[in-house]
Amino acid sequence: MKILVCISQVPDTSTKIMLKDNDTAVNTQGTTYIINPYDEWYALIRALELKESGVATDVHLITVGKADTEPVIRKGLALGGDQAIRIDADSVDPYQTANYIADYAKTVGYDLLLCGKESIDYNNGSVGVMIAELLDADYIGFATNIQVEGTTATVKREIEGGEETDVVNFPVVIACQKGVAEARIPNMRGIMAARTKPLNVVTPTSSAAVTTILSYEMPPAKAGVKMVSPDNMDELVELLHSEAKVI
Amino acid sequence: MSVLVLVEHTDGNIKKKSFEAVQYAAEIAKKTNTTATALVLGTIADSELENLGTYGVQKVLHVADKKLDELHARAYASALIAAAQKEGSKIIIALHDINGKAVAPRVAVKLKAGLVSGALSYPDLDKGFVLKKAVFSGKAFAFVNITSDVKIITLMANSFPLVAGSGKAAIEKLDVTFGDKDFGVKVKSVDKVTGEVSLADAELVVSGGRGMKGPENWGLIEDLAKELGAATACSRPVADAGWRPHHEHVGQTGGTIRPNLYIAVGISGAIQHLAGVNGSKVIVVINKDPEAPFFKAANYGVVGDAMEILLKLTEAVKKFKQHK
Amino acid sequence: MNDTEAVKAIKGGEFLIRETPAESVFIPEEWNEEQLMIAETCTNFLAQHVTPNLARIDEQEEGLMPHLMDEAGALGLLGISIPEEYGGFGKDFKTAMLVTEKLGAGHSFSVAFSAHTGIGTLPILYYGTDEQKAKYIPKLASGEWKGAYCLTEPSSGSDANSGKARAKLTEDGKHYILNGQKMWITNAGFADIFTVFAKIDNDENLSAFIVEKTFEGITLNPEEHKMGIKGSSTRQVFFNDCKVPVENLLSERQNGFKIAVNILNLGRIKLGGGTIGASKEVISTAINYANEREQFGRPISKYGAIRYKIAEQAIKTYASESAAYRASENMEEATAHLIETGMDPIKAKLKGTEQYAIEAAIIKVNASETLNYVVDEGVQIYGGMGYSAEAPMDRSYRDSRINRIFEGTNEINRMLTVDMMLKRAMKGELDLMGPAQKVAGELMSIPDFGGSEEDTLFSKEKKYIAGFKKAVLMVAGSAVQKLMQQLGKEQEILMNLADMLIELYVAESTQLRVEKLVGMRGEEACKEQLDIMRVYINYAAEKIFKSGKEAINSFADGDERRMMMMGLKRFTKTEDFNTTQARRNIAAKLIEENKYCF
Repeated sequence: MKILVCISQVPDTSTKIMLKDNDTAVNTQGTTYIINPYDEWYALIRALELKESGVATDVHLITVGKADTEPVIRKGLALGGDQAIRIDADSVDPYQTANYIADYAKTVGYDLLLCGKESIDYNNGSVGVMIAELLDADYIGFATNIQVEGTTATVKREIEGGEETDVVNFPVVIACQKGVAEARIPNMRGIMAARTKPLNVVTPTSSAAVTTILSYEMPPAKAGVKMVSPDNMDELVELLHSEAKVI
Repeated sequence: MSVLVLVEHTDGNIKKKSFEAVQYAAEIAKKTNTTATALVLGTIADSELENLGTYGVQKVLHVADKKLDELHARAYASALIAAAQKEGSKIIIALHDINGKAVAPRVAVKLKAGLVSGALSYPDLDKGFVLKKAVFSGKAFAFVNITSDVKIITLMANSFPLVAGSGKAAIEKLDVTFGDKDFGVKVKSVDKVTGEVSLADAELVVSGGRGMKGPENWGLIEDLAKELGAATACSRPVADAGWRPHHEHVGQTGGTIRPNLYIAVGISGAIQHLAGVNGSKVIVVINKDPEAPFFKAANYGVVGDAMEILLKLTEAVKKFKQHK
Repeated sequence: MNDTEAVKAIKGGEFLIRETPAESVFIPEEWNEEQLMIAETCTNFLAQHVTPNLARIDEQEEGLMPHLMDEAGALGLLGISIPEEYGGFGKDFKTAMLVTEKLGAGHSFSVAFSAHTGIGTLPILYYGTDEQKAKYIPKLASGEWKGAYCLTEPSSGSDANSGKARAKLTEDGKHYILNGQKMWITNAGFADIFTVFAKIDNDENLSAFIVEKTFEGITLNPEEHKMGIKGSSTRQVFFNDCKVPVENLLSERQNGFKIAVNILNLGRIKLGGGTIGASKEVISTAINYANEREQFGRPISKYGAIRYKIAEQAIKTYASESAAYRASENMEEATAHLIETGMDPIKAKLKGTEQYAIEAAIIKVNASETLNYVVDEGVQIYGGMGYSAEAPMDRSYRDSRINRIFEGTNEINRMLTVDMMLKRAMKGELDLMGPAQKVAGELMSIPDFGGSEEDTLFSKEKKYIAGFKKAVLMVAGSAVQKLMQQLGKEQEILMNLADMLIELYVAESTQLRVEKLVGMRGEEACKEQLDIMRVYINYAAEKIFKSGKEAINSFADGDERRMMMMGLKRFTKTEDFNTTQARRNIAAKLIEENKYCF
């Protein structure tokens, strides 16, 4: 069984976002990059667990990005991925990203494709579903537990107002969140092995974007906090009712 | 040419956020000189469907297939596409929630349509078809232009206040022929949470952090939440320590929420936490440390012992409700 | 001093008499992707396992520290520089330093880590027989067994060779019977292997033994109550007729003192690395607080008095780091050179390290005192909260203090710095006399006001540093001449000379680092680093002048004193420079980044 894990490079969670070029771009100077936490902590680690338990034979990583994404790709390899694919492109939107990845995935034929429930930069959560559609495969989002037997996966996932357990046949795309696995730290053995693992750079297929970001805006500064005495909670309730109008 | 909107319901009751989506679709229809049509899937009474007219749709398409009572994203997508074809829709609206996120991207691929996920605004038609959405988990906003012919939007719930109008929608049954693959995912069991307010949809949220000292004190958070009719949430360290279940974790690596009121108790306000909650309309911060960075992001602040203040605040809410 | 050929052959201590080209030094901006990944693993390990548990660690929760060591072992962090044949990862010394630096922010854990991987493991690795190494090293590298080192006794600390512990061979010749009391033994509470120093019979010098916890006759006192590093296990260990198999004698009889000294050379520079990591962490915490804390309506990071402190913390840390990695690279190069000449790799490593023992002592003193400065000002930046045990500065402040004491007190290390330098000169390994006489000659001549000096980005700083060297040579040279054998007893003068040497080495290392960095990134991208260098050199000039003046006034008088004081002024003269503005620039960058960022 072959697994493809889609990873995305995102700014570290402690990054303060700053804009440049008349607010048309994000200033990335000095930004530290990480693997999108949902991709790394849950999707990748679950894939590795499946390999360690003998269920999966290959764990491949794929990302769409230029050469500057290679350090995070190699971190994925250090954690235990067998090989990585970098589609050499700056993707404009999820549709384009999904097409690039799906086009590559078709050439290999993966049984299970894992990704995070969303990336913490653009918060769309749509690439995984789009890949599924492009591969004519099923998709399960917001997974909290993934078990594999033969050519089917049993997946526990969050639904509107609860939880459900699904059974699905391969190939399938599953988007992971907390519960699927536990984050790991790359160990020395993995870090040293990462150097010699294949990292294949692939030319993207032609695929156009259908959306573009025109500009950005920073959230408005809060007007300032109004302090209320801890002995006067009636006043707080009154403020929430008559001034803020939220209760 | 009508604007098509996918409506969700829980066991036959239309969700409030779906009324928001319907109202949003109707408003876009007005801007684009057309009408809005709602698509409802699964088992639901006509009397409930009629209510959709109150928020501006002229027509409701109902696919009354019982199999659609469960989320089958591919079937939902097939139904949306059938409805869109029937209506000649170029604009399709869904909610930015678990269902909408599973369906909208499929439809987008099928129709080669641009998708904006989690829109917070109406489209700006002067600049093209531009929508505002949160990026970097709320640390910034982006203005995204859809350049394709067909346009798809998932709307962030709680972005626009509901204003009920008058009007009744005409109900039309729609038959959709589904393929085998539309039901490829077999549902083995469903476990619905009843009673509690679900966090993602909650208008009011009470949230606790490390300042709560331990899980044994969570009763105080729950008491206040109950009194307010609010959902409960927590910060990452609390979920990591196992004091609370992980689905309650809000922040950049947990859930992002946008309630009307967010009461943060004993949470210092790390940048990662703020990213998940700074879409909240009003933030109340309760913390013993007057230097807690969260106060800078708050509308109201109280400095003092979390447990004591929670007790007093719950009492005050109780009193307020009695006098109302 | 313009000896640029044979660059690579620059030897330990030679920084005093030769010029080092910038391209030959290693700077931390050159870490490769793998090293950065290892560093990240260390940082994540602390964030996940150590930092959230600092209070529990300090309470010495049963089993917690050995568990953390196991976790570190599982990640491979206990075997970084151990050869692969013994289950390690065979990484170079700089990488081991980097790991020590990153884990240095781990308070008591970093003490347990350093003791285990350093003094707990290295004596066996460097001096053990193949059998001893095969038996002990793989288990120490994986963390299955934890190591401790028993040298200090109640009545013998700095004077290590005076210990009372004794070993006696049994009549059948199969065992040594070990008796003695060892004190301040780090990791004692959970160690499986002790490297114990004791004299056999009435030997003049110590021998070393590998003692397993399961041998009979070992008892422990309760945990010591310490000012800081409360989570580190520190106990007295008693050996009562402890039976040690003869094959557990480490190295040769009476070789123990040499082992102790050589292991300390490595331990010292690593201690420097650890304190640099701690300094960076404290600076980041302090900056973050200064950005959050508001007084008079503005964050306190907007106020000059606070900005001064933040800038100074960073300047000192950057300078210490420059020196530490410069010397680490030198040790590595010396080792590689010795291996090339056919020396056994492990022997080469010891020899290579020993060559830079002067630099190691300098780094130990300088980096530990930098951390002391950083935590002190860290408390101050926190103001009232700095004194609260609820805020993080309390622990940092207490934990920092031990670094000036263990691995040889800073006073012992200062004396060693001068002592080793003079001994090498005496042995003819280091030609101090020639350069010192040249400086003496210069004193008599008319100062060179030559206007033909080149004016490049670093020409001024290079001239200052050349002057510092002359100042040290002049004062040290005449102190030796005047006091002869007596100098060894004039500890105040030795301290002065050591301080001059330390500032010279650190200032020069900083200058070389920034010069190399500008070559890599361009001047525009290194504005703050250039400011750091200039402020540090300015400070070093004053410190060297002050120490030199104290020394001169203590042993010279009359014309000689006047002449030397004139020389000292000339050699430590720097042009006027607006250090206030430079510190403001440095602080502005740190405050913007909200963390230590150089």
